[in-house]
Amino acid sequence: MRDRTFAPRRIWIYLVVSLIAAAWLAPLIVVVLNSLRTNEEIAQGSMIGWPQHLAWSNYAAAWSGFCVAETCAGIRPYMLNSALVTIPATIFSTMLGAIAGYAVSLWRFRGDTWIYGIVTLGLFLPQQMRLLPWTIVLRDIGLINTLAGLVLIHTIQGLSFTTLFCRNYYVAIPHELIRAARIDGAGFFRIFWRIILPLSAPILIVTVIWQFTHIWNEFLYGVTFTTGQQQPVTAALIALSAAVADIPQHGVQSAAVIIAALPTLLIYLLGGKYFVRGLTAGAVK
Amino acid sequence: MSNTAAIRPGGPALPEWVRRLPEYLMIWVPLLLSAAHLVSFSLWTIWISFTPSTLIPVTGWVGLRNYTAVAASRNWQIALDNLLLFGCAFVVLSAATGLILAILLDQRIRGENVLRSIFLYPLAVSFVVTGTVWSWLLNPGLGIQKLVHDLGWTSFRFDWLIDRDMAIWTIVIAAIWQSSGFAMALFLAGLRSVDADIIKAAQIDGAGPVRIYRRIILPSLWPITITVVVIQLQFAISTFDLVRALTNGGPGIATQLPALVVYDLMFQRSLLGRGAAAAVLMLLILLAVLLPYAAWRYFQRRRAAHA
Amino acid sequence: MPITTTRRRLLAGSVATLALPAFARAQGAVKPRLTAISQWSAGSDGAAITALGKKFEEKGGVWQHSPVPGFTTEMMNKLRAQIMAGDPPACSQLKGPEIAAWSKIAPTVDLDAVVAAAGYEKVVAPDLAKLHKPGGKWIALPLQIYSTNMLFLSKRAMDKAKADKIPVTWAEFNDLAEKMKSGGVAFPIANGGTRPDDGQKFEAALAGISPLAYRAAIMNLEKKALEGPEIKAAFAQVRKIADWMDPNVGAQHFSTNLKRFVDGDMGMMIMGGWAQGVLRNAGFKFEDFTIAPGPSDNSKPVFLLNADAFIFWQRKEPDLQAGQTLMAQLVMDPAIQTMYSQITGSIPVRTDVDLSGEGWSEGQRTTAAALKNAIASNQAVLSMAHNMAQENGMTAAMIDVITEYVKNKTIKPEQAATRLAEAVEGAR
Repeated sequence: MRDRTFAPRRIWIYLVVSLIAAAWLAPLIVVVLNSLRTNEEIAQGSMIGWPQHLAWSNYAAAWSGFCVAETCAGIRPYMLNSALVTIPATIFSTMLGAIAGYAVSLWRFRGDTWIYGIVTLGLFLPQQMRLLPWTIVLRDIGLINTLAGLVLIHTIQGLSFTTLFCRNYYVAIPHELIRAARIDGAGFFRIFWRIILPLSAPILIVTVIWQFTHIWNEFLYGVTFTTGQQQPVTAALIALSAAVADIPQHGVQSAAVIIAALPTLLIYLLGGKYFVRGLTAGAVK
Repeated sequence: MSNTAAIRPGGPALPEWVRRLPEYLMIWVPLLLSAAHLVSFSLWTIWISFTPSTLIPVTGWVGLRNYTAVAASRNWQIALDNLLLFGCAFVVLSAATGLILAILLDQRIRGENVLRSIFLYPLAVSFVVTGTVWSWLLNPGLGIQKLVHDLGWTSFRFDWLIDRDMAIWTIVIAAIWQSSGFAMALFLAGLRSVDADIIKAAQIDGAGPVRIYRRIILPSLWPITITVVVIQLQFAISTFDLVRALTNGGPGIATQLPALVVYDLMFQRSLLGRGAAAAVLMLLILLAVLLPYAAWRYFQRRRAAHA
Repeated sequence: MPITTTRRRLLAGSVATLALPAFARAQGAVKPRLTAISQWSAGSDGAAITALGKKFEEKGGVWQHSPVPGFTTEMMNKLRAQIMAGDPPACSQLKGPEIAAWSKIAPTVDLDAVVAAAGYEKVVAPDLAKLHKPGGKWIALPLQIYSTNMLFLSKRAMDKAKADKIPVTWAEFNDLAEKMKSGGVAFPIANGGTRPDDGQKFEAALAGISPLAYRAAIMNLEKKALEGPEIKAAFAQVRKIADWMDPNVGAQHFSTNLKRFVDGDMGMMIMGGWAQGVLRNAGFKFEDFTIAPGPSDNSKPVFLLNADAFIFWQRKEPDLQAGQTLMAQLVMDPAIQTMYSQITGSIPVRTDVDLSGEGWSEGQRTTAAALKNAIASNQAVLSMAHNMAQENGMTAAMIDVITEYVKNKTIKPEQAATRLAEAVEGAR
């Protein structure tokens, strides 16, 4: 309800909301605290606790210190690799999805429902199943062990989501607007550029956020289709986990988790408002 | 723009299809690539599921042998039971959590921006990290139980992670934490698009807030609820990284899930054919969920068209 | 079809078999280069392979190692992708029967000449050698050896139990555990609970009860042996071990408990020799614990062999071929094996390396002696839990049963034995 009339109830609302919020924040707080405790300190106590001395060295080690085999450069180079894949793949899949969604929703052409249906089904195809077919495809087009190959995979797979959401958003745009523009002689691209794109900010924010986080956090393709120096940040994170690293390095691991999650966290913090707004405008249909 | 040049009066008249070639390319190439990869990858997997492939794909025909082997394995049976339990519990609880959060946030409370960010931030975190961090928290020897014991309450028990019957609920907890923010965002979007005039009219008629929610707002959220349920259900079916980091199918094999079994057969056990068969079975489960939804959407649209 | 292309490429590759002269010629002419894939990215494993890479570079080679962090599965995914792309690494980590399985999908290098030149065959345990020459020719080289059933005893826990005798048989082991329990050691067993860890408990029990039964049931998959009384006895022993563990350990890695083990809060650990490297890496002292061969009911040491190895994939590039020769020579070199084992806590593959010198721990000497004795009494068997006895599919099917048994105390040893036999049938 959107008025401020029932005041006594509001205390309850705040109470409940703060309790849930605290529960939601707990894992983050635990990781932040652990990122400031030394490995020894965590090993002697539990995973939950206040840092005795602020061990900022964890961050130094995580950022540029720890070794993955002979490369002792911390998480930094892997962050760059992830960015080199994530940024182009996000841009391509968003732009192509926007154009496809625009075409499917406002231009209608023969076979559009079918192809749209198939493309959106892609949301549901498990990714473990696609690993070997992608291997064959990348081999045949010569893109194995290149970041371009990963960009291609994420662009094509991302189209399922971006097309679905953009189409749902554009369906709500009045057809008269397009009709009028066409009578004025504007073509497909001109209408997209001049009319559709300026209206698209909310939904593009949704797809950018979604694509960016999903590609950034991907691991399976990231380690299979790259060689050592090109691996994504998730690979470096895995190298720090206890089962791989012999002794648990919970402190450094926590710091690395925080650093690796910063880009996606920032995107959600800055874009969260628009995320809901974009969904309001788009996904609900 | 190339096409605008072509329609300029007095310019050389190009055939229609040449003039529109760039747009055809921009529309069809990405869509066809995407559709082609989905169709061919699915067909490829179906084909592999009938071959004796092990380490790498090979030709050959073994009939339904891979399917019967998968269906007979304990791992798969446990995975299906778990999927039923996990799927239902997770979908219902995360939708409910999302709805409650959305209703609370919709009360024009202070700090809405901050709270919304808090409920959304888990979406930014990778499943592997979520699984790892929750495995710390839920581990009785390291996390919450240890903390409470150290504080003095030594009879406190919270050891679902090592309890065969309860371990699947730890995955439910972590999955709800991770994804109910998305349900919240969708519900919030729905709440925000309810017509304010109808609510105002109801208020003038003297309807209380509970009544307004029950009679006007919640019924209007029905289509969104379906969307939320379908999205969460596909999340439940394809849950993989999260389980792998949180329980890795354990204790024992108590928290196996179909996606985990597919990966395990294909890559850990090097039984590609069987893994493909499990993947096809998984796709069939997905279809069983999606077809009713598609039918529902179809009839809804037809009704809308007739109205 | 994409598949047929692969096969054609593979066939084309196998026609161009490598001969030694080409090998030798290549080495003189070009700067050796090696592309390698392994999962060794961190801890003592990461340190050891890095040191090996340094040696490779000192010899004038170009070292291009691509670690794949994570489970072995991810490393294999990577290897599979490279092989399917017709671009296998010059050498990659692979072990046990998987060497034979993988060698069928892509051509490997015939190392017989290099091995003969180094006289390596004479100094490798025959069972182990067999795994690395599946078609009668050497295609892979073992690098280091562990026993998966070493017994680690915490000094402080021994003090608490007022015991100083190292248990030799399972009965003595069980006695000591009881003594520790009554002496105030909270949990006499310090193991973790991952899948291989659970597998190790079972193989240690079975091989310790009867190495013959282990060989027949687990290595040769004989139906009669799988249904034999030793299997039930082994499961019963595993139940005892599981009951002495901290239930809260769940599925954690054994390394999480090392501090409690050293402190005497936990007493014994049945673990591979690699735990030494981990303990040293974690800053613990060797005085804090003792290492002995795992319990064996006939009092002669049983050695559950686990060996890491490199397989060499055929490449046409002369620099890679030169790199492969150099790598093979390094891996067989006693000095390199010494360096490697001293970092990881393993023992060298070569039986002629002298472990009396500085840099070797008492535990490593014990392990090496155990191997020698076990080979002499035919009690050196291949580890199931670490994929040495069977291919991965069979191993995983067995561990499914074992890990479920460890975590579910309502399953009776008889039931577990039946399930194990069924699982083996199902995975055949």
